[in-house]
Formats: sequence, structure tokens, C-alpha cells
Amino acid sequence: MVDDRADRWWSDDDQLLSALDQAIHPAEDVPDGFVRTALACFVWAGIDADLAALAYDSAVDLTELANTRAESAQLRALTFEAADLTFELEVTPDGLAGQVIPAHGGELQLQLSDGTATTVRLTEHGYFRIRPTPVTPFWLRYRFADGRTISTDLIVL
Amino acid sequence: MVDLVARARDGDSDAWAELVRQFAPLVWSICRQFRLQDAECDDVGQNVWLGLVKALPRLREPAALPGWLATTTRRECLRVVAAGRRRQAQEKHVDVDVEDERLAAPEHNLVAEELYAALRAAFAQLSPRCQQLLTLLLEAETLSYAEISTRLDMPVGAIGPSRARCLARLRKCRELAAWIEAETRRGGA
Repeated sequence: MVDDRADRWWSDDDQLLSALDQAIHPAEDVPDGFVRTALACFVWAGIDADLAALAYDSAVDLTELANTRAESAQLRALTFEAADLTFELEVTPDGLAGQVIPAHGGELQLQLSDGTATTVRLTEHGYFRIRPTPVTPFWLRYRFADGRTISTDLIVL
Repeated sequence: MVDLVARARDGDSDAWAELVRQFAPLVWSICRQFRLQDAECDDVGQNVWLGLVKALPRLREPAALPGWLATTTRRECLRVVAAGRRRQAQEKHVDVDVEDERLAAPEHNLVAEELYAALRAAFAQLSPRCQQLLTLLLEAETLSYAEISTRLDMPVGAIGPSRARCLARLRKCRELAAWIEAETRRGGA
């Protein structure tokens, strides 16, 4: 597209119009999921909470061992760590199962990128279930008794 | 566009959505040029957009946005490709320096993607009238000036001059002007 000619191709109306044609009619549409994640980034970045960063993702781990045991259908497991709190998360066939460690009881917020939030009850040992698995990017948020909140990285499953 | 960046910086999610609409094709197509898998593209996309949210306060010159996004996306793609190569090397016990064609995304293609992003951003700033006219001119090479004249309620004789005027405005939009300036500096003129 970028011409090697010595004159400035963009000064030519026909060539500029043809470049515009390629620009507004891209060869490939951007997938919806790619756009959803981009939109979610804005909401997630705007939250005011300490971060529990992704420390482990079995999907990445499995890729590293690609082909050696790829067929063993394992559940996906993720771990998010902050200084004093860990979120364990497992993707099961019918939803998410997880644990907040150490257990302080209380509840968890499931925050969807469209701005809606759902309260998730924690057992006394910090276990929780979420059904069904969110189809849009989301994050989990825990609030301590003193009001301090900790949020996971943006999660895209 | 000045507006979009400033508004997004102030927390306006509609402005962010419009930025995403205009620039997601840029990020996506660069990922594709590096031949990344869908999951790798998502990984790159997430880092690029989160990076942009953080960079919004520093983006004093919004015309620099297409270039900033192209550079950041390219860097993230290289990171993903390099990580893939390390994994491969571990599996196959081969030298990490092994040639990887995915690294060979031609530089001029990236420049073209940046141009397309600048064109989309510039186009979005044209008047609705100009957008309509250019869209009709593009959509239908088969459409005669007489038909365009009817659809836009514009005299046939005005179409040619309007086309030239709208394209001149397009060139002057800051994103495209910035690209042209950079391209001239690169010696591509």
C-alpha cells in the first residue's frame, strides 16, 4: 500500500480514496471477544483496590508442556496473589469453584465488565461457587472488615 | 479525537468505547501480521489496552495515539513470540536463536496499519455530509454521479468539488497529518 514512488501518493485524491477504502473495509473483522476485553480493561483499570495478580494459570502451564500430556483433560486452575490474600479459582464444567485464603468469612463480589456485580457467599473456610461461568471478562473483589478491598487481575476465560 | 482521549481520561466510558471501535482493528491486524493465535492476540490486546488506560494522562498529543498503539502492540507481539520460542526451545532442546518467521512481520506493513488507523480516526472526524459522500463513492464504484446526486440531494456538478474538498479535510485531520509528517521524515514520501 505504501508506495515507493518519489512523489507523495497521498496528495493524489484517487490514491487517498483507495487507501481510505482499505482502511474502512479491513480484510478481517475484529472478533467480538477481542473488543469486549478492550472495553473491560477500562472498567477494570478504574477500580480502586489493591491488586491480586495472576500467579499461576494451568492453561499456560499446559502449553509449555504441549503435546506431552495435552490430551489429559484437566480443569483450568488459576491463582491470584496479593500480599496478604490469595484467590484460587477452578473452572469446572458447570461454573467456577474457588477459595479465598486465608479465610476471613464474609463475601466476595463478582464484578462483570458491563458494570454489574453479584455477591458471592463465602463458606467459613473461604470456599465459593459461581454458576454459570461468566462469558464476559470479569474480576473478583474481596473486602476486608476494615473496608480495604483487594481485586484480582482482569479474568478472561 | 482530542476530545476522546481527554474524555476517556476523565472516566467517560463512551469515549473509551469509541477509541476501541476506531483502534481495535489496528491492534488486531498487527497481531495477525505476527501470525499470533487467537489466545495470544487476546493476551496482547489486554496488555495494550491496559497500557493505554495507564498512558492516557501522559498522551498530551492525541495525534500520537495511532503511533503509540502500533508501537506498543508490536512490542507486545514480539514479547509473545519470544515467549513461544523459548517454550519451543525447551521442548525440542533447540537453540533459542532458531529462525522464526513470525518475527519477520514486515515493517512497511506495520506502517500501513498505522496509516489505516489514522485514516479511520480522521474519517470519524469529518462532517456527516463528507462521510456520506465518501462512503457512497467507495461503496459503489458502479454508482453513477447521477445516483449519488439523488441520494445526497446534491447537484451532480458539486460532487467532484465536494469529493476534493472532503479529501482535503481528511488530509488535514491531525491523525493523518501526523502520519504524513512521520512518513515524510521516514523518507517514504
